[in-house]
Amino acid sequence: MIVLPPLVWALLALFCPLLAAIFIGLFARYSGRFSSWLSLAAVLTSLGAAITLLRAQLARPERFLEETVRWLPQGGETLAELGIRLDGTSITMLVVVTAVATLVQVFSLEYMQEESSHAFGRYFGYHSLFVFSMNLLVLAPNLLQLFLGWELVGLTSYLLIGFYWRKPSAARAAVKAFWMTKLADMGLVLGLVVLFTHSGGFSWTATLTPEVATWVSGLLFLAVMGKSAQFPLHVWLPDAMEGPTPVSALLHAATMVAAGVYLIVRTFPLFEQAPDTLTVMTYLGAFTALFAAVIAVVQTDIKKVLAYSTCSQLGYMIAALGAGSVMAGYFHLTTHACFKALLFLGAGAVIHAVHSNELSKMGGLSRSMKLTTVTFVIGALALAGVPGLAGFFSKDLILETLYEKRLWVPLGLLLAAAGLTAFYMGRVVLLAFFGEPRSRAAEHAHDGDAAMSAPLIALAVATVGVGYAASRFAALIGASYAFHVGPVGVLGTALGLGGLALAYMVYGSGAVRLESFALLAPVGRLARSGGVDRAWQYGFRRIALGIAAAVGFIDRYVIDGFMNFLGWGTIVLARRLRRLQTGNVSDYVLAVVVGTIALVAWGLYG
Amino acid sequence: MSPATKAVFELVPYLLAFGVGALIPRRQGTLERVAIGVVAALSLALVRGLWPAAADAATPAVAPPEEWPHLLNVIVFVPILGALFVLFLPRQTPALLRRVTMGVLGLDLLASLMLLRVPMSRGWHFQYVVDWLPSFGIRYHVAIDGVSLWMVLLSTVTTPIAAYVSFGSIKKRTKELCFSILLLHGAMLGAFVSLDLFLFYVFWELMLVPMIILIGVWGGVEKIKAAYKFFLYTMAGSVLMLAAILYLVWTHKSLAGYATFDYLALANVVLPRTAAWLCFGAFALAFVIKVPMFPLHTWLPDAHVQAPTGGSIILAAVLLKLGTYGYIRFCMGLFGGPAWSAAANLAGLAVGGGILYGALVAWRQDDIKRLVAYSSVAHMGFVMLGLFSGTRPGVEGAILQMVNHGISTGALFLLVGVIYDRRHTREVREFGGLAKVMPVYAAVFVLVTMSSIGVPGTNGFVGEFMIIMGTFVSLPLGSHGGLQAVLAAFGVILAAVYMLAVVQKMFFGPLTNPKNAQLSDLNVRETIALAPLVALIFIIGLFPSLFLERTRDSVQVVLERYTEGRKSFQEMDPSSTVARLLPRRGGALETGYPEPPGQVDAKPPDPSTPEAEAALDPQQGQP
Repeated sequence: MIVLPPLVWALLALFCPLLAAIFIGLFARYSGRFSSWLSLAAVLTSLGAAITLLRAQLARPERFLEETVRWLPQGGETLAELGIRLDGTSITMLVVVTAVATLVQVFSLEYMQEESSHAFGRYFGYHSLFVFSMNLLVLAPNLLQLFLGWELVGLTSYLLIGFYWRKPSAARAAVKAFWMTKLADMGLVLGLVVLFTHSGGFSWTATLTPEVATWVSGLLFLAVMGKSAQFPLHVWLPDAMEGPTPVSALLHAATMVAAGVYLIVRTFPLFEQAPDTLTVMTYLGAFTALFAAVIAVVQTDIKKVLAYSTCSQLGYMIAALGAGSVMAGYFHLTTHACFKALLFLGAGAVIHAVHSNELSKMGGLSRSMKLTTVTFVIGALALAGVPGLAGFFSKDLILETLYEKRLWVPLGLLLAAAGLTAFYMGRVVLLAFFGEPRSRAAEHAHDGDAAMSAPLIALAVATVGVGYAASRFAALIGASYAFHVGPVGVLGTALGLGGLALAYMVYGSGAVRLESFALLAPVGRLARSGGVDRAWQYGFRRIALGIAAAVGFIDRYVIDGFMNFLGWGTIVLARRLRRLQTGNVSDYVLAVVVGTIALVAWGLYG
Repeated sequence: MSPATKAVFELVPYLLAFGVGALIPRRQGTLERVAIGVVAALSLALVRGLWPAAADAATPAVAPPEEWPHLLNVIVFVPILGALFVLFLPRQTPALLRRVTMGVLGLDLLASLMLLRVPMSRGWHFQYVVDWLPSFGIRYHVAIDGVSLWMVLLSTVTTPIAAYVSFGSIKKRTKELCFSILLLHGAMLGAFVSLDLFLFYVFWELMLVPMIILIGVWGGVEKIKAAYKFFLYTMAGSVLMLAAILYLVWTHKSLAGYATFDYLALANVVLPRTAAWLCFGAFALAFVIKVPMFPLHTWLPDAHVQAPTGGSIILAAVLLKLGTYGYIRFCMGLFGGPAWSAAANLAGLAVGGGILYGALVAWRQDDIKRLVAYSSVAHMGFVMLGLFSGTRPGVEGAILQMVNHGISTGALFLLVGVIYDRRHTREVREFGGLAKVMPVYAAVFVLVTMSSIGVPGTNGFVGEFMIIMGTFVSLPLGSHGGLQAVLAAFGVILAAVYMLAVVQKMFFGPLTNPKNAQLSDLNVRETIALAPLVALIFIIGLFPSLFLERTRDSVQVVLERYTEGRKSFQEMDPSSTVARLLPRRGGALETGYPEPPGQVDAKPPDPSTPEAEAALDPQQGQP
């Protein structure tokens, strides 16, 4: 083991991917293959550094380290600093990010191999840039640096969603994601400004008056809603599935969308001072959890199901944080990163084999894709909250927290969502992997090679194992954890198992036909309608573009028109006045005589 | 270690940067490789050269190098003399003409880089004063501070780029082109460094002539109309400014007993309320038209659309900055009181009429160049907002944003010119899927777009963030500051909306229009022209402190004058119609103060003791 100061490890974790990104950006055209190895080497270095830091931190969980340099001066003073903060919270997130990123990049080696050499290099360049940006965010010692990383991951998200830019839908989705998150980021900018005005810095440990704290935390939460796809700002996330599937696994499931949750965890001292914001968070998070779960049930695209599921799970985390439990929210982030990345990569393997996202083109894959089936089912069961798997522990913790705080309405919403989650995951598994193959490609599907299988296995192992690390995790972030069986946990688990059973009855054995429940029809129609998305589109196309059109009209015809009118008026006036200059002496004499008479008259009577 | 080996070691990083730049793949020849390598090495040199010396505290602080008083004269008059020299060259040798022009501009750039060797402490630097028309009190007085320093550098960097691009696409009337560009360059630099209002006015008007020629001769279909419009708008403002200057000079003469056009002397005149408001209005009108601000902005889209690429770059990058620079220097410096009182309303105009209005209009444009022109209106609205805020982050951010706008918008106009040269159209709907045939072009366009919408790591972020910050805490804006900060932040989103929408429409999706199928990517000339701009985007974005450190003290001075002006304005009896003269401040800020005739040899007042200063001041206590 090489002994280096923790700061050096952190710098390695941060800058290796950046160097790789710069290098690939400049030289990717020489060799895409080489670029991919470079990117992988960089992310592996980051992972190694992160694990080293984690081991050191586990030995002394309370230690923290903060180093900053001045970045932005103002007058003679410091306006902003950049630096690195190492503590239990940042190191665990660092490990999650780099580990998932490594596995996703390995997976991509095979998944993206049909791309041209240049596109292949570009893809890995974006990945390196993403790892750097995410690490910048995670290791931030203050909110400003967190914001820098936040914007940069938004940028890489834009680039990666639009990776297949020849597809108009992908280009549109990329722009949409950028706009929606940017709209929400306005909250972060203003939150920073308010925070700085009232505390003189960007630190999240500042003590604020209740009113200011509510403003700051509310503004920050606006940004979180955008990034972590909370209702009603969630509409970009399903569209973001236009990106390559490994990207969806890394950015739009495991890490980037969880950055919003991480922001709350990180700045919890600020949120704690604002109970109103916390209440809003709990209700909004719980509502999103149920709302997205309902929509996930009716999706026919396997990635869209997982995308709505991500929205829903992020809602769980937000609700937990709103209830005041950092441990519950943050732990669910970690376990969710494992099993959702697993699910997305599994879906990627399926899509790679079937060449379609549609569940209707799959079916019966368990016969030919054994490994994918096993790992996907593990992930699905973890998401459904089957006891023993990672998702069970964290979801249980969230439900317990809400129960303890007696937040009955959110708790009810989350319990309903738990049942639905199990139901839609059961549906996906049954439709994709069991039954009869529904397309030619599904008949001839096969598992991927080593590069695609290894990450699946690794994530499946993590999905099984991470749940048992809860108490160590709690120690790292300064919380405590003890597993116990409570009534709400039992109820949640029962609902999960019930959901799975119902899914089996509907999609497996066919014992129950959903169509026989007339009550469900309007709900299904509503869920399929994408009403929120349409509202946004209406606001964008009709209202915003309409205002822009009106303003453009005013600019061209009213303002510029008035200026042109002035010019035209001058010319017309000049033409009129020109007539006075006739050049005829008698006219001038007449004018002189009339003028003299007028002056004399004025002198006499005026 | 011998000095020779040491020198070699010092060279290593530069060689490495050069190597990295030169090795970028798929370049079209040695020239391009070498040029990009040089840009890389120079960027490194710039960063290292600007790095604060405090880093190596071990070495004793070296005194700043002597300021060569003629440096500004060289910077201003090399292009002007070059323009005259070009007149004597034969029209039949366009290559020679171009080479001479580039040589002169390159020389000017090198000379202006020498300005960076001196830290910009309080006061004036590289000052040079000589009598010009002594009977009218007109002097040739030039100097720079931390504000004008960056304006000078901005023009010496962007003008060669604009000229280089023009030489690629304009093949007729080369001699006139060279003459116009050189004269324009000299005049702009002169306006930035003048501290005599007469001199400033001469340069200010001198700029107009070559710019009109640029638009009117090499412009598009409606070039004459656009040139007229540009001329009339600018003239309307500047004539009133001339009247205000004369009124100020006359007032100063009646108070102090001698005539002078000098900025330092006129800054001490406190006008009675009405006169102050009128004079401020006249100055502000001239600058606001130049910036341009709503509702006086309609000349800008026309001028940009009709102007050739090179003209657009100079217009956007430098010429508009004269408006904002003029506002800092003259409106805030001479008329602090009215400027302060008007700030809240003007800031509302900058937000509503600039940032939001410009962005909304830009969104609906079908012509890319018109879109970029309106985005300019929005960005300049940001700069003006920062100035109106009157706070340190606001003003520092505004100055940085002036440089940023010059770089980003200049690059955008350059990029629009690239596609126009190939297709002779700028309609967005003519394009689509261009990333397939022009990948490098698309990549650079996206990068510049990111800078324009202020993504962290690029230059746009820092300026916008500081301006929003400064607006929020602004005193002059009072309770409106918060709302204006919110709206300004919203303007950033609108910028993302219209810029990314056009990027999506032009570059992504399938390549549908067959006319675009054979387009060639950036050629050597275009790449070389873009390379320094791209490098600057990152240098400013990553190391903003290098730039802010040098504006710091001067911004402090500007704000001191601003608050002082406001104080003396407010202390005045509202019904008073008598002007008065403030006592001289002395010190570094008033070196080169115009002494009354006959007292030229008098000892300047000692700045260290204000009482002594007051006692020495002959004008003390006059009404």
